[in-house]
Amino acid sequence: MISTLLVPALIVVMLLGFSLYVPRILFPRNLMNLIVQTSYLAVFATAQTLVLVTRGFDLSLGASVSMVSVIAALVMVTVAGGVGEPVVYAVVLGVIAALAAGALVGLFNGAVSAGFAVNPFIITLGSLNICYGIASTISGGRPVFNVPAAFSTVFYDGRVLDVPAPILIAGAACLGAHLLLDRTVLGRSLYLIGGNPRAAAVAGIPVRRRLIFAYVFASTLSALGSLLLTARTGSGEPALGGNLLLQSIAAAVIGGVSLRGGVGTVRHAILGALFITILSNGMNLSRVGGYVQEIVLGVCVVIAVFLDVLLSRQRSAG
Amino acid sequence: MIRLSTWAPSRPERVFRIGVGEAGLLPIMVSLLIAVLVIFEPRFATIQNAINILRNASFLMIVAVGQMLVMIVGGLDMSIGATMALTSVASVLVMTAVAGALPDAPNLAILTGITAGLGCGLAVGVINGLCVALMRVPPFMVTLGMASVVGGVALMLTSGVPVYGLPQSFINEVGRALWLGLPTAFYVALAIVVGLALGLRFTRPGVRTLAVGGNRQAAAVSGVPTGVYLLGAYVACSLLAAVASLLLTAQIGSGQGAIGDQLTLESIAAAVIAGVSLRGGAGRPELVALGAIFLLVLTNAMDLMQVDSKIQSIWLGVFVVLAVVLEALGRGVSRRG
Repeated sequence: MISTLLVPALIVVMLLGFSLYVPRILFPRNLMNLIVQTSYLAVFATAQTLVLVTRGFDLSLGASVSMVSVIAALVMVTVAGGVGEPVVYAVVLGVIAALAAGALVGLFNGAVSAGFAVNPFIITLGSLNICYGIASTISGGRPVFNVPAAFSTVFYDGRVLDVPAPILIAGAACLGAHLLLDRTVLGRSLYLIGGNPRAAAVAGIPVRRRLIFAYVFASTLSALGSLLLTARTGSGEPALGGNLLLQSIAAAVIGGVSLRGGVGTVRHAILGALFITILSNGMNLSRVGGYVQEIVLGVCVVIAVFLDVLLSRQRSAG
Repeated sequence: MIRLSTWAPSRPERVFRIGVGEAGLLPIMVSLLIAVLVIFEPRFATIQNAINILRNASFLMIVAVGQMLVMIVGGLDMSIGATMALTSVASVLVMTAVAGALPDAPNLAILTGITAGLGCGLAVGVINGLCVALMRVPPFMVTLGMASVVGGVALMLTSGVPVYGLPQSFINEVGRALWLGLPTAFYVALAIVVGLALGLRFTRPGVRTLAVGGNRQAAAVSGVPTGVYLLGAYVACSLLAAVASLLLTAQIGSGQGAIGDQLTLESIAAAVIAGVSLRGGAGRPELVALGAIFLLVLTNAMDLMQVDSKIQSIWLGVFVVLAVVLEALGRGVSRRG
């Protein structure tokens, strides 16, 4: 876990550093943009964190985001196409279908990996392929257009008290995840399972059921994130989740979630998401090429893992 | 990565007991799959098709046994695809540059190109290995970060466009040459798999590698320089990725930044199907090679049945999960019995 102050300090230093080259980065318009962008990634990083604290992994995150996006769009387009149906039904059904699809992916990941005691890494690798295949098959590999405008209003354009919808929805989701992890017995037991599964089992925690819950919750969260992204693009995209797997893990780890399980909070995930978003926004404004950005992100991940090791060693020594 | 040290038995002695039970379900599954295909799909059982499968399986075999080495020492290499991309791009750039400067010495160009490619593999492996061996950072993250870095460098070198202009003799004599109807890549893969299978079982470094993976502390206490073996596993893995990439580049005839995109995950799948534990300490190259063949037979069968490539991805995922679950169930039964 990277110490609590290091990441916020780095974020401030980075913002100031970029502002020397591109003052625009500190303009209110861009700051608002930064927060909106962060809220998307924060949802996915939080989802990944939920699984990481149990010493698990969700490799299927990006692919399931793509699949959920396509399913939501197809359901909405089909229902809205029916004669005389108010558009509200289409949106509601689309959202329900999306969340249900996400929950199903999580149920599969959790039930198979916990039920048969096999490594979640390989199970989610399998579901990555399955989700990717489903997404590209049912969409025919093309974006699904004609998503009702009402959907984008709710999940993208809408504002309450001048706060954009993505921030509100992502904020509520992250807050929910935070309360669950931090304030409930269920959430705390996930940390024990991640820190020491045998101790958790001995302590009478129903490890399997809790693990399944963690995966279902994580995948439902990323389905929600997928809805937000779908509303932003305005169409169901079979390639929506492209970079999200790497980014979600990178955000969690940079924020301070440990890959060894048992350590990590939603706050870490959000900080990591903020870090990555500012970094890429700053590089975009400074006209740094996409390939170089990839290199920089990789270097950041490696450095974050190093710091994690150094700091945890220091803690156990002192 | 996911390491339960209390559960990990020390397994070095296990390598000397080779029985049917040790091989797991994979040979049975491969035989069943092939039997079903031979009966129901006449086009499957042709020599041309077998050669086709073996050629495509060769590249996966080479990287999968590399992945296995890293998994044996308790790690994971997510940077295989990126390493292949960098190797492919760098070797072709060097080859074309040297061939352009010295048009009369195509062999020199090829040699320097291959050296450059292997050098890339070596460099990535050393960095990965040093991070893991010295700093003891989680291998998954380091290699994932390295994948981003190395892949970025490869794309930057080429701006994402394939690099052409390979010496024709490299393509004809290495990539597309056939001996007894089989391509070079197959013989290289065969040599690597057999060499590793014997090496892991009968040489001191091999047995020690398994020991380091089974129980690092016990190995260290018995005087094994564990860091050296960790580093060695990562270097070997990246070098094997470089070899596969050079062979594939020679076959394709151009340097490609997307050359290994699928191979990182496929190599893990092949290894896991073959019973290589993600906790380390166990792994048999010949089974991993069989795992690679299993995946390729599956793909080939779906191609023959004209299953859409998008749906193939679903089946691939289903079979990976199924194989792992069956393997887990099998282990449970043999432990209880």
